[in-house]
Amino acid sequence: MELIDKIRILADSAKYDVSCASSGSDRKNKKGGIGNAAPYGICHSWTPDGRCISLLKILYTNYCIYDCKYCINRASNDIPRASFTPEELANLTINFYRRNYIEGLFLSSAVMVSPDHTMELLVKSVKKLREEVNFNGYIHLKAIPGASSILIEEAGRYVDRMSVNIELPSNESLKLLAPQKTKESITKPMGLIKSRIIQNQEERHRFRSAPSFVPGGQSTQLIIGASDENDLKILKLSESLYKGYNLKRVYYSAYIPVSYHPSLPSISNPPLLREHRLYQADWLLRFYGFNTNELLNENNPNFDELLDPKSDWALRNLDRFPVEVNKADYYMLLRVPGIGVKSAQRIVQARKVSVLDFDDLRKLGIVLKRAKYFITCKGKYFKDINFMSSPATVKNQLLQEDKIKVRENPEQLSFFQLYPQIMTPAEKISRITGEL
Amino acid sequence: MMLYYIYDGTFEGLLTAIYDTYYERENPEQIVSIDNFTDNFLIQRRYIDTDKEKSEKVHNAIIKKISREALKNIMYAYLSEHENSGKYILEYLRFGFKAGKLVDSYLSDNRVHNIHRLVTKINREKHLLLGIIRFRLLSNNIYYAPIETQYNTACLLGEHFAARMADQVFVIHDVKRNYGVFYDKSKWFISSIDIEGNLDYHEKELFYQELWKKYFESATIKDRINPKLQANFMPKKYWKYLVEMK
Repeated sequence: MELIDKIRILADSAKYDVSCASSGSDRKNKKGGIGNAAPYGICHSWTPDGRCISLLKILYTNYCIYDCKYCINRASNDIPRASFTPEELANLTINFYRRNYIEGLFLSSAVMVSPDHTMELLVKSVKKLREEVNFNGYIHLKAIPGASSILIEEAGRYVDRMSVNIELPSNESLKLLAPQKTKESITKPMGLIKSRIIQNQEERHRFRSAPSFVPGGQSTQLIIGASDENDLKILKLSESLYKGYNLKRVYYSAYIPVSYHPSLPSISNPPLLREHRLYQADWLLRFYGFNTNELLNENNPNFDELLDPKSDWALRNLDRFPVEVNKADYYMLLRVPGIGVKSAQRIVQARKVSVLDFDDLRKLGIVLKRAKYFITCKGKYFKDINFMSSPATVKNQLLQEDKIKVRENPEQLSFFQLYPQIMTPAEKISRITGEL
Repeated sequence: MMLYYIYDGTFEGLLTAIYDTYYERENPEQIVSIDNFTDNFLIQRRYIDTDKEKSEKVHNAIIKKISREALKNIMYAYLSEHENSGKYILEYLRFGFKAGKLVDSYLSDNRVHNIHRLVTKINREKHLLLGIIRFRLLSNNIYYAPIETQYNTACLLGEHFAARMADQVFVIHDVKRNYGVFYDKSKWFISSIDIEGNLDYHEKELFYQELWKKYFESATIKDRINPKLQANFMPKKYWKYLVEMK
């Protein structure tokens, strides 16, 4: 088979994985070598659907021994199959990289022959890139659940990021929809990667020259809406993954019905808005100092689809507002709806040298659309806004603002912009692809 | 009459002009590069003689009395080639010599805001270029990347690509401004460029371009085509030399 056909087949199956980040690693080039990692990540192109290409995201093979009903790569499905060799893959990566097409490689795979056999081929490919080609660019590798610890450990020495996709957020759902995948087959490699990362950080603390182990950390992906977990349960899971397993990222992916199986829910539209709310909440956990219990509880286990999680929280805690921009500490500023990390930092910086009013905030690039209901400058409210003590009134105002925005600039809130990684039922493929 | 300072277009020339405003106790309406200067009868012209010593004095004074960050800021503002960049730089520096190293905290002060706005534009274009320049392998084994940029940012790419593509000889060619960033496997430098005739591709070049185009096509989700969103991230003015957009 020609290389170009392999690319067609194996890139096509890989494109639905949500993760594309090339950030978080600061791998340096070696003498006589090629490539390095940029800690802030670089996008190299944007496909006509508006998604960024950073890494060469591709499967090693789509030959699969499993026959999962919902997966396009299932053994009984009659589709073209292909498989790379480690040489081809290394060659392709390095030639794309030298031309600055890509930031590195994101290698995943269906399961050919056995988990160990597949993992061995993946390891061979990344080892070749690092040791023979002297490639020091970014590599993200999928750990194949069920592969032996030795292989996963070896892989970790060559790559920047590893991920094990959880896909289904509870043990019950796994049993129902992915019977070959047990909780242990996921948590075991995750736990192993975590402890090796910690061990490696200690080694590198003592000896700067100690070889690195997954310096970009590990990530995972959860499917939203294929099973009946509520937002609280999902967010709790993410929180414990961040805390317990030191994950760098949890990706959420709205479930798209592709197959007619009695165990799969029949829904007409993927829960995209729900996915979006979970991403927003995820950000609040990681960068805004929130914890899950503040955002959701047993009485309120799901996010309001109309309102972002931070505004929702603020409305339930109106007694903590208004916040005086010139006095509030950084973490309280972060809790104001409409003020993000960058805005809060700029406020803190600017008020060192002057007392800020609303015009100043504008010049700082701070969007007042939401924030104006929750802040004062020099003790005064924005224009004719008065403090509203009733959550319902503020909520109405916020929702109205959104509508106005939609009318003024319909492009602004295009669904696609919010959900760049979605797919449609017409693409007969599931996110639960070949990751077993 | 409006007093215009006219310099030779170099950064040193600009710094010399700054020096002269202090020395001459003048407050010019504009400081413009000779290429951007359009005369009219209301303008009183003063031509600046670029002077290495003067420009170095200003250079060092900025580092010492303001900050390295401030020097980088005015450098970027200069690279923006904005019609008012000279004037903005003068105002920023005058304020900076008073405010000292805290100058960049005055985010809402126009003298600072004007410069920061230009710096942001430069940073954005530079970051975009890190991703979207495309090298072509030539028959003489040089990796060649032509680009046309809005601002004069090509000169900021040398460090990144020299560290990354350390084992390949490359040239990044700013086609509009006609200079190149050259790297010879040991150091990078900037020099004017003059290409005669056609550049011959290496025998494998078109093969990899085809593979890349196929990958690009396969990575696209076809039911979700949204060219506007694509052009938002990657404005059309940069498409000319993008292999995958042909």
